[in-house]
Amino acid sequence: MFPKRIDQARPFLVLGIAFVVWLFVPTLVKRFTRATFFEFQAPVEASASVLRDIQDYWALRTRSNNELIEAGKELANLNAQYETRLREYASLQSRVNRLEELLRLPSYPEYRTEVARVVRRDFNAWWQRLVIRKGANYEISVGDPVIFVGGVVGRVMEVGAYTSVVELVSSPGVRIAATLEGDTRPISFQGGVNPAFGPATGVVEFVPLDVFANPAAPKRLVTSGLGGVFPPGLNLGQIVKLEKGGDGLFQTGEVALDPRLLSVSEVAVLVPLRAK
Amino acid sequence: MSEKTAERPGSLVETHKGYDPRLLAFYPIVAVLLLTLVGGMIYQQFIKSDVYHEREKVQNQRRILVPGPRGNIYDRDGKLLVGNRARFAVTLYLDELRKDFRREYLRVRKNYRDLGDKDMPNATQMELIARYSVVQRYLDQVNHALGRTEKVDAKALNRHFNQNLLLPYILLDDLTPEEYAKLVEQLPVQSPLQVYATSTRFYPFKSAAAHTLGYVTGNEDFTVAEDFPGAELTTFKMKGTEGASGIERSFESTLQGEAGGSIYLVDPHGFRIEPPLSKRLPIQGKDVVTSLDIDLQQVAEAAMTDTEMNSATVMMDVNTGEVLILASKPDYDLNDTTPRLRPETARWIEEHGAWLNRATQGIYPPGSSFKILVSVAGMHHGLLNGDSTVDCPGGYVVGNRRFPCHDWHAHGLIDLPVAIEKSCNVFFYAHGLEIGPDFIAEEARRFGFGKRTGLEIHETGATLVPDPAWKKRARQEEWHPGDTANYAIGQGFLLVTPMQMASFMASFARRETLTHPSVLHDPNRPRQKGDPIGISVQDYAAIVEGMEQCIHTGTARTFSQKPLNGVPGLRVAAKTGTAQKKTEKGTINFAWLICFAPVENPKVAMAIMIEGDTPGEETGGGRYCVPIAHAVLKKWWEKQNASTAPAQASPPPAKITLGSPTSGAPLASNP
Repeated sequence: MFPKRIDQARPFLVLGIAFVVWLFVPTLVKRFTRATFFEFQAPVEASASVLRDIQDYWALRTRSNNELIEAGKELANLNAQYETRLREYASLQSRVNRLEELLRLPSYPEYRTEVARVVRRDFNAWWQRLVIRKGANYEISVGDPVIFVGGVVGRVMEVGAYTSVVELVSSPGVRIAATLEGDTRPISFQGGVNPAFGPATGVVEFVPLDVFANPAAPKRLVTSGLGGVFPPGLNLGQIVKLEKGGDGLFQTGEVALDPRLLSVSEVAVLVPLRAK
Repeated sequence: MSEKTAERPGSLVETHKGYDPRLLAFYPIVAVLLLTLVGGMIYQQFIKSDVYHEREKVQNQRRILVPGPRGNIYDRDGKLLVGNRARFAVTLYLDELRKDFRREYLRVRKNYRDLGDKDMPNATQMELIARYSVVQRYLDQVNHALGRTEKVDAKALNRHFNQNLLLPYILLDDLTPEEYAKLVEQLPVQSPLQVYATSTRFYPFKSAAAHTLGYVTGNEDFTVAEDFPGAELTTFKMKGTEGASGIERSFESTLQGEAGGSIYLVDPHGFRIEPPLSKRLPIQGKDVVTSLDIDLQQVAEAAMTDTEMNSATVMMDVNTGEVLILASKPDYDLNDTTPRLRPETARWIEEHGAWLNRATQGIYPPGSSFKILVSVAGMHHGLLNGDSTVDCPGGYVVGNRRFPCHDWHAHGLIDLPVAIEKSCNVFFYAHGLEIGPDFIAEEARRFGFGKRTGLEIHETGATLVPDPAWKKRARQEEWHPGDTANYAIGQGFLLVTPMQMASFMASFARRETLTHPSVLHDPNRPRQKGDPIGISVQDYAAIVEGMEQCIHTGTARTFSQKPLNGVPGLRVAAKTGTAQKKTEKGTINFAWLICFAPVENPKVAMAIMIEGDTPGEETGGGRYCVPIAHAVLKKWWEKQNASTAPAQASPPPAKITLGSPTSGAPLASNP
């Protein structure tokens, strides 16, 4: 038993311990929760996404046989077209490779595409993000470019074990070295501040003064390939407005992005083929 | 006096009597003190509030000024001669790094303490170390993206931190477009590192018209509009530019943009608080359209470069006085002067004498090209006419001295046109002595020699039209007949600039006396209007006849001979000259050629001067200046024909027809 004087100090000891716990435990808990929440949450979202796919499947099964046969034919037709296109692309690619070899041109970094389903959309005024159904299990890493049929979707900003978060090109946190189609001068593209479900826009800076664009005659903006992240020639959007900047050197402007970005359900992650 | 009413032991209650007359004395004192306090508060809060508000503003706010970009400079056809080029830099906003600096400082201090270092630096030194480490870390991010190995300049960083904390610190400057693109894509958007574009002068034609266009130097004392707020605040200025020479300097007020800027609230450490309280965008300066024709300028400069000697060429529009070519060699690539002139570049320019604009600042004796003016002087005073003759034996005795003709060559009996064509000195010795130095000087001054032409860019004021009175005044010497003989052939004390000679040629071609040249292009510029030349058309025609023959059979005959073969369809009137100057190394020659074209309807006038570089070497205008004149006139004629209807054939050679004897109107051509 403590002497009386020490015994009287017990409340202070308890207070001290409580203070230390109050100081450190929240941080540890927060860090642990933050680290694990995403992984805990991901299967739920992925399951919900799979369930949605099953719902869609069964919804289609309610259609009549004739309708399904018709849709099957259209799909077969589309697939055949894609097959033809793929062969054309393969032929063109071999020509490009041959010319690059002949002219000793540096080849751009090569990518492997990982097609992934979108499991969740997170759109608000501050950022616009997608969660996709593939993660580190497919060697996706932070910073990888993400594309879809309409061009650039965005960049991978967070990677979990089975899911990844993609920051959309319409988000102010994404900046890309772009250029005008048929031009080589780099232009800075950045996502704009967009309303949650409004039309997606971006802004361009450092646009040369000899470029003219307006809603009636927009200019197509593509990736420049100079930045080292995105390969060249991917569609970003259309420049619809340009204004001369105060520096007298450049223009700034507005870019209308592909409206399909808001409803994209499947994307392709370009995973760089890194040297092993 | 208070009186205790209850004094029980252990009681904590004391009671006092409510009224004590002795306390009354303290009431006014307390009242005065309270009034003083209230008065002071009123004074401070109401009367001095504006002063304190102003002081607080000055203490808590900072103004950052950004210079406006300069206007562009174009040639007469709208081609860009001087523009602004973006200069990309990656910058670091130090005021966003205060937490990083603090953390690093604590880490550095801990490391020293852990190591038990006896030589632990003091707090200020550790702050410097921490700052350097943090900034180097950010620079390493850039290095990684660009594949570079740059290091932070500790001194520059410290200076910037102490003096310009609110301005972005430039980590890397002059990035290539590829580097800029990499950083745009690879740097996080929310980062103190930002890609920043400033404007710097850009000269697409490099050294072309370098002296005329001029260059700019850094300037931190640019002015801001009077209505720009925050004049009383501590102000930081981004570096601007100001014209240092040529058009950049002469039209500084036009080209200089209007400064913009922002006013920020700062914390007690001087770090900026976003967003700015107010902001104004800079405005670009106005453009200047020069009279230069860059195509002709480049042709002239290429031909001048071929001579490998110092030279100057001026070409102007006879009717408007607009300068089409203003070239001086050696010159320098204007792009080497921007963003700043490096010492080694300045040294090279200095060593090669390339700072001097020889066209407007070089002073030379005009040699035989001055014979045109002497002819006009004689005709104007009735002492010479187109039929005047002299028998040239190859030399002329004046006093005890025999003055040579061109290479002691005897021309025999010749008249004025032949004297001009062959550049016979004896003819002009004889008639010059008749005319006299005063009349020659008077005529030279009538044509604008001896003073600046009025061109907008800097001209020397050191030209000289001598006469006996000047010699007496300046040298305390008498004027001798030998001086007149020299004067008559453009030698002696006479000093002119190529610009003056071109102006003279333009005036002569218009049959007038004065031309006010300009480097500005104005499509509606009225025709120059000087006094009539004051000689008869016959006399004028005699001079022009000699000048025209000069390029066929005279001293400039190489113009029409192989390989130049003249300019088909273009009639040119020219006069060559070779002047001598005694130097320590020996006698140096200056080659001249003045001309105008087309003879039947003069449109352009030109003066070319080449400085000989080898003592004793014959540097004649016919040999060295003619190729330059030929190249320029050929190009000019091509452009003329291209600008007129394609079907229009070049006019056939025409003879001069005589108009009214004293008329100043241009001579009509005879088809």
